[in-house]
Amino acid sequence: MTAVTGTITRDTPTAARARSRTGGLAAVATLARRRLAISARTPRELLIPLLAPLLFALVVVPALADTFGTPVAGIDYMSFVAVATIGLLVPLSCMQSGLGVVVDRLGGGLRDLLAAPVSRPLIVVGNLLVAVALSSLQVAVLLGAAALRGAKYDLSATGVMWFTAATLGFAVAMYGAAEVLANRLPTQEEYIGALPPVAIVPFFFAGSFFPISALPAGLTLIGKLLPITHVLALVRYGLVDRNGAGLHDIWGMGNTTAMAALSLGVVALFAVALTAAAMRTFRRTAVR
Amino acid sequence: MTTATSVHTVARMTTNHTSAIRVENLVKTYPGGVEAVKGIDFAVPPGEVFGLLGPNGAGKSTTVGMLTTTIAPTFGRAHVAGFDVASQPIAARQASAVVFQEPVVDRSLTGRRNLEVHARLWGLDAARTQKRIAAVVDPFGLGEVIDRAVDSYSGGQRRRLEIARALVSEPEVLFLDEPTVGLDPRFRFELLDLIAGLRVRAGMTILLTTHYLDEAEQLCDRVAIVHQGRIVALDSPAALLARMGRELVELRVDGDVSRMVSSLRARGLADDDAFAVGATLHLPIHDRPAREAVATITDMGLGVTAITSRPPTLDDVYLQLTGERLAA
Repeated sequence: MTAVTGTITRDTPTAARARSRTGGLAAVATLARRRLAISARTPRELLIPLLAPLLFALVVVPALADTFGTPVAGIDYMSFVAVATIGLLVPLSCMQSGLGVVVDRLGGGLRDLLAAPVSRPLIVVGNLLVAVALSSLQVAVLLGAAALRGAKYDLSATGVMWFTAATLGFAVAMYGAAEVLANRLPTQEEYIGALPPVAIVPFFFAGSFFPISALPAGLTLIGKLLPITHVLALVRYGLVDRNGAGLHDIWGMGNTTAMAALSLGVVALFAVALTAAAMRTFRRTAVR
Repeated sequence: MTTATSVHTVARMTTNHTSAIRVENLVKTYPGGVEAVKGIDFAVPPGEVFGLLGPNGAGKSTTVGMLTTTIAPTFGRAHVAGFDVASQPIAARQASAVVFQEPVVDRSLTGRRNLEVHARLWGLDAARTQKRIAAVVDPFGLGEVIDRAVDSYSGGQRRRLEIARALVSEPEVLFLDEPTVGLDPRFRFELLDLIAGLRVRAGMTILLTTHYLDEAEQLCDRVAIVHQGRIVALDSPAALLARMGRELVELRVDGDVSRMVSSLRARGLADDDAFAVGATLHLPIHDRPAREAVATITDMGLGVTAITSRPPTLDDVYLQLTGERLAA
C-alpha cells in the first residue's frame, strides 16, 4: 500500500492567474483526443465494426455476384453492392461511437466534462469528430478490401468529391442520431436494442442489393425519403455509376449533376438537423 | 480559434469580491416536485474550509451540483470566485474544480491521461500540464500506478487520483463532495490529513460535504448543518458544540418522555435546550457537574432505565436541531 505523503506545491497566485481559458479549438482537440483514446485503444475496437461489412464485401457480395451475376444499370453486381456496403458500415460504426456516450453518462465521465470550463456543445463536437474519423478509416478499409476482391471503381476528381461529401454527411447525420439515442435512452441495453431499426433495417430499403425501382411502389416511396438512399445513389455516382442511375430512380430528372446536388442537399439537411438535435438533447439531458 | 483570454479579465459580476463562494436563496426543485434545496444562503471567505454537514438526501450534493453548474438552480443566485454561476458559468468553472461523490474518472485511460485531459480542458499548456502532474503525483502516492489504466486501481487509489486531478488545475475554489466515502480507515485518515494541508499550503477555498462528523470537526473552519434542503445552523464546530454545554446527560426513558421533561424542568434539571429522540432524552448540562445531575435524577426515582453522561458531539447538535441521526 502506498502512503499518501509529501506536500502539494502550488504556483504563485500570479502564475496561476496567467492561466488561459481553453479556446474552442483547443478544447475540441482535447475532447476528441480523449474520445479517441477511449474508443480506439486497441486494433480490436477498430476492427469489430468492420467485421459485418467486410463479411459482406469479401464473402456475401461476391457470392451474390456469382449466383445472380447480372449487371445493374451497366455496373457489375460486385461493384454495385460493394460500394453500397458503406450504408451498413457507417451506421454501425457511428452507433458504436454513440455507445461511448452512454458509458460516459452511466460511468460518470460525463460529469467531469460538464464541470470543465468549456462550452458544452463542444463535448458533442469532439465526439462527432472522432466518430466521423473512425467511420472514414473503416470506409477506406472496406473499399480497399472490396477492390482486392474484384470491385472496380471509375475514379475521377469530381466523382471522389461527390463520394466524400456524401460519406461525410452521412457519418455526421448517423452520429447525430446515435448521440440523440445515447442521451435519451436510459440504459446500454435499450441503446443496443435501438441499433437494428436505426442502423440495419434502412439499409435494405435503400437500394443496397437492387435498385429501389425494383421495390413495390409504396416501399419505393419510403426508400426515396430515407437519407441512406440518397447516400447510396451518391456514392455509386461518385465511384461506379457515371450515369447516375440511382439518382434517376429517386428524382427522375434529366440533369445528373442537379440530381446529385439535390441528394447531397438532402444528406446535408439530415446532417445539420440531426447534429442540432444531438446538441439540443445533450444540453437538455446532461444538466438536470 | 478563440483567443486565449485570461479568466481574470472576465468581469466578475459582484462588486464586493470578498467571498469565494456566495449563495443567496438557492432553490432546486427536480421534475416531479422533489424539493432538494429549499432556499439556502451562505458565504465563504477566501481560504476558508467550509463544511456542508447532513445525512444523505439533505441537499448537499445538489448544492455542489448547482455551484459547479452541473445542476441548474430553480431559483436564487450563486457566485463562485466572484462569477455568477448562471450568467458566467464557464468563468465559474474555470476558477473551480470538483471531486464528485461518485467515481468520475475514465477507467480505460491511464491515470496520467486522466490528469492530462483535465489540465488541458482547464487551459494549461503542455509544459505546465506535465509540471503540474509531476507536482501532484507523488504527494498522492500515485507514482507507481500513474501510467496504468485506472481499471486496475484500488478504490483508494482511484479516489486519490480524482482529488489529484482536481488540484492539477490549481483551482481557487475546490468542491469536495463526500471525498472519503468508501475509503478504508487508513486512507481516509491520510486523505483527511492531505486535505487539511491544502489550505495551509495552497491557500485555496474548500467546500466540503460530508455526513462524517469527525471530518467536519477536523477540517472545517465553519459548518452549515443541512436538513431537508435547509440550513438549520451555521457556525464554527467549536461554537456549535458550545451550545450543548460542557457535558450531555442521556436518559433512556420508560414512559412518557414529555412528562419526564416537565418533571426535570420543574426541578431545574432541564433547560429549554433539552431534546428527545425516540425514548432517549438528552439534557445539555451547562452550569453544574454532570455527575451531580445524574445523582439527582437517580434519586428522583423516575422511570429511567439507563443514564449516562458524556461530552457532546456535532451529532448531538444535529439531533437537537433535527431529531435525526446523521449517519446510518
